[in-house]
Amino acid sequence: MDDASGTLGKSKVSRLVNWIVSTRVWRSIIRHGNPDNDLDRMQAVFTNFFLHIMPARVHVHTLRPTATLGLGVIALFLFFILIITGVLLMFYYVPSVDRAYNDMKDLQFVVSYGVILRNMHRWAAHGMVAAVFIHMCRVFYTGSYKPPREFNWVLGVVLWVLTMFLSFTGYLLPWDQLAFWAITVGSSIAAYPPLMGDTIRFMLLGGQEVGQGALLRFYVLHVAILPIVISMVLAVHLWRVRKDGGLARPREGAGGAHPTSAVGSGDWDTGKTYGLMALARGVTPVVGTQAPEEEVTAWPHLTFRLLVVFVATLTAVTAVSLLFDAPLEEIANPTHPPNPSKAPWYFLGLQELVSYSALVGGVIVPGLAVLGIMLIPYIDYSPEAEGVWFTSDRGRKLAWKSSLAGAVSVPILIILNAQFGLRTLWANAPQIMVDIVNPATALLIGMAIFSSTVVRRTGSRRLGAIALFSSFLGALIVLTIIGTFFRGANWVFVLPWEQTGAGH
Amino acid sequence: MSKDYGDYQLEEGGRGEAKEKESVSRRSLLSIGWIASLVSLIGPGLANIRYLFPNVLYETPTAFKLRKPAEYPPNSISFEEDRRLFVFNDRHGFRAMSAVCTHLRCTVGPFGPGKGATSRCPCHGSLFDKQGRVLSGPAPRSLDFFRLTESPDGRLQVDTQDIVSADMYFKV
Repeated sequence: MDDASGTLGKSKVSRLVNWIVSTRVWRSIIRHGNPDNDLDRMQAVFTNFFLHIMPARVHVHTLRPTATLGLGVIALFLFFILIITGVLLMFYYVPSVDRAYNDMKDLQFVVSYGVILRNMHRWAAHGMVAAVFIHMCRVFYTGSYKPPREFNWVLGVVLWVLTMFLSFTGYLLPWDQLAFWAITVGSSIAAYPPLMGDTIRFMLLGGQEVGQGALLRFYVLHVAILPIVISMVLAVHLWRVRKDGGLARPREGAGGAHPTSAVGSGDWDTGKTYGLMALARGVTPVVGTQAPEEEVTAWPHLTFRLLVVFVATLTAVTAVSLLFDAPLEEIANPTHPPNPSKAPWYFLGLQELVSYSALVGGVIVPGLAVLGIMLIPYIDYSPEAEGVWFTSDRGRKLAWKSSLAGAVSVPILIILNAQFGLRTLWANAPQIMVDIVNPATALLIGMAIFSSTVVRRTGSRRLGAIALFSSFLGALIVLTIIGTFFRGANWVFVLPWEQTGAGH
Repeated sequence: MSKDYGDYQLEEGGRGEAKEKESVSRRSLLSIGWIASLVSLIGPGLANIRYLFPNVLYETPTAFKLRKPAEYPPNSISFEEDRRLFVFNDRHGFRAMSAVCTHLRCTVGPFGPGKGATSRCPCHGSLFDKQGRVLSGPAPRSLDFFRLTESPDGRLQVDTQDIVSADMYFKV
C-alpha cells in the first residue's frame, strides 16, 4: 500500500514538474532542456549568467581535490559569506566614535542573532586571509603561474594585498582598544615613507589625530571602496583563469612534450565535432592537445563539487561562530595602549619586523616582498612541469630544506640582534644604520643570495623560485609564531605559558 | 569672362593659400583634441584628491594649560593622562616631555623610581631614559620636549608644536 501510494505521489509530483518546466514562463527563464545529455549539460552552464564564468567542460585533472585543494573556491565562498554578513551588520553599526563600540555591544547582547552574524563575519575574515594565502602557496608549488598565467598570478597577489587591507580596515571599526591602537600604529607606519609619508597619514586619518575622521574614512574604505576594487580584480582573476585555458595541469604526452596542434596529426581523429562552447583558447581544452574524453561536462561534475565545498565552508564558519565569540576589547582609550598591544595573528609577523625598524620592517621589506612575489612568473617562465606539485622530487626536497632554512634563520638573527645589535655595540649609531642593520634586511639579503645560488648551481630558475618562496614562507611562519607566542608585555620575549595578554 | 577667370584664379589661389596655412591635418587636430580632453581630466582628478584633505580640523588644540607649578611635587615625574606627556619637576626647574613614542605613536609606560629609571613602550619595546633618549628598540629618535610657559592665571602652559632641547628648564 505504502509503495503504491508512494509511486502515485511520485508520479503526481513528476507530472507537476513536467508541467512546470513545459510552461511558457519556465522556458523563457531556463532556455535549455533537462540536463540529462551532454548538450543540455553544457547549455546549463553556458546559458546561465551565474554559471557561465565556468567552462562548459572541464578537464578531469582540475576536479581532483589534490590538484587545487579547493582553496581559491573556499576563499571565494568566504568572500560571499563576508558580503552577506557584512551588509547585515551595516544595518546596526554606525561609524561614529560615540556609537561604534556600543553598537558592537548591542550586536552582542541585544540584537537577535547579532552575535552570530558578527562572529561569522570575523571568523570568515580570518578564514579568507588564511585561504587566500594558502591558495597562493598552492598556485606557487604547483607551478601554476607559468605562461600564459603570469598576469593572473600578479592579480592574485593584488587580491592577497587587498584581502589584508580589507581585514585591517575591518578590525578598526569596533573602536575598541585593538582598533584604536591598530589605526594609530598603522597610520604611523604609513607616515614613514620619505617625503610623502606625513601627507599619506594626514589623508588616511583626515586629520592629525586618530578620531572621527579616521573612523569614517576606514569605514568607507571597508564597506565601499575596497569591496568594489576587490570584486573587480576578482572578476578579472576568474575571467583570466578561463581565458588562460583553465587551471594549470600537467602536460599530456611522454617527457612533457607539448603538442600545440595535433588536429589531423593522427593523435586524435574521431570525426566528432564540437560546439564553440566546449573550446577555450590556450593550452588547455584546445582541440587536439588531448582526447576530449579527458574532459567532463562542468554540470554536474564541477557544479556539484562547488556546492559541496560551499556547504562545507558555510558549515565550518557557522560551527566556529557558534563555539567561539569574536574578540572585543575594552572601549578605545586614547591615552593607554593595551600591554602587550598585539595585532591579529596574520599581522604579527609584520609586527615582529616593525619592532626592529618601522621604515625597513613596516614599509621597505613588505613592499619588496610583495613586489618580489609578483615578479616570480617573470623571472621563472620555464614551462617546467606545471601543474605538478613541487615540480619534481628534487623540488620537493628543496622546498622543505629552504623553508627550514628560512624558519631557523629567523630565531638565529633575532638572538644575534639581541646579543650584538647595533645599538648594544654602538649606542649612538645614526638612525639610518639602525634601520639598515636589522633582522629584516638580513633575511631579505640572505634569501636573495640563497636563491640566486640555487639558480647558479642547478641552472633551474624554477628551483631558484622554490628556494626563494619557501624560505620566505618558513621565515614568515616563524616570525608569526614568535610574535604570537613569544612576545609578552612591553614586547619583551616571554615563554608561551607565561603569556598574560589577550589574543585575537 | 576674364573677371570670372580671375575670380576662379583667386579662388584657386585662396584655396592654395588655405591649404598651406592648414598645416594641421585632420588626424592631428583630432588627436590634439582628444589628448586635450584627457589632460583636462587631470584637474578634476587632482581636485578630488585635494578634497580629501580637510581645511578645518576639529581637534584638540596643541597649546593648553596644565596645573599650577605648586601642584607638582618637587623631584617628581607626573604623567598628564589626557595630554600624553610627562612633567618633570626637579631642582633645575620644570620640563615637559612627550609620552608619545617616536616609533609608532603608542604611549610609553611610566618611569619607575630611582635615578636611572626608564620608560618602555608597550607596542614594540622601545626603551627611553629620563632625557628622552632611546636606549634600545626601534624608536628612531628621542622623545620630544615642549616649551613650558606660565599662563596669566598662574598655571603651566605647553605648546606641543614648540619643541625645545632636553636641557631647557622652566623656572618659576
